[in-house]
Amino acid sequence: MKIPSQDLVAIGKIVAPHGVRGDVRIMPLTDFPERFRKLKETFLADGTNLAVEGVKYHKQFVLLKFRGLDSMNAVEHLRNQILHVQEQDLVGLPEGQYYHFQIIGLSVYNEADELLGTITDILATGSNDVYVAETAGQKSIMIPALKEVVKTIDLANKKMIVKLQEEWKD
Amino acid sequence: MSRSIKKGPYVHESVMKKIDAMNAANEKKVIKTWSRSSTILPTFLGHTIAVYDGRKHVPVYVSEDMVGHKLGEFAPTRTYKGHTGKSEKATGLK
Repeated sequence: MKIPSQDLVAIGKIVAPHGVRGDVRIMPLTDFPERFRKLKETFLADGTNLAVEGVKYHKQFVLLKFRGLDSMNAVEHLRNQILHVQEQDLVGLPEGQYYHFQIIGLSVYNEADELLGTITDILATGSNDVYVAETAGQKSIMIPALKEVVKTIDLANKKMIVKLQEEWKD
Repeated sequence: MSRSIKKGPYVHESVMKKIDAMNAANEKKVIKTWSRSSTILPTFLGHTIAVYDGRKHVPVYVSEDMVGHKLGEFAPTRTYKGHTGKSEKATGLK
């Protein structure tokens, strides 16, 4: 069964075969590496389905064994491929948490309902995340992901309402 | 060689002045700074500091576990766009 690529979300990258029994080494591209334990099937970028037979963890990698691929030569062609799951199989997030792809593309409005721009990127700082919004004039606004700044995130209407803090003026 | 204890932690003069003024007035404004080498002190807690990353100012909210680190540690100077567009990465409000 092939799945359209727009419904797929990446969870890992096949780095190399591991051993001679058909295992592959996966670099997780997810915030939830433990999700691989319950993984039953996964998809390549072209929508090809791979059934998962075994999961092991090794250092920072995940080792997967796919059904029907039992030798190193059988999995060699999978090197550098990205593994995906369908959107409905994503790990459930607690309230107030969102996936990056849900936030990117939202329209940003201020409290007076004036359009400020569209979110194009998310930066991780080690403290708060920062949402980068591009304005119509190709300028970027940096929006800290703080409760006192981001007032509402409305995924259904693709809208975010923010109250930007005043900047110190010399 | 590490910095002499006698001198105390390094904080750029203008950052310190602005933080002290805001603490005295009990207000919160974003401080823009180019001083990535300034140490985060307990008096910075709860403030948002926009730290220069070489291209733009990245707004960073200062929390308790950041005390003792440098401001520049929280504004990476290199951007890596990742392996793929749509991945299982989460974000949330702090």
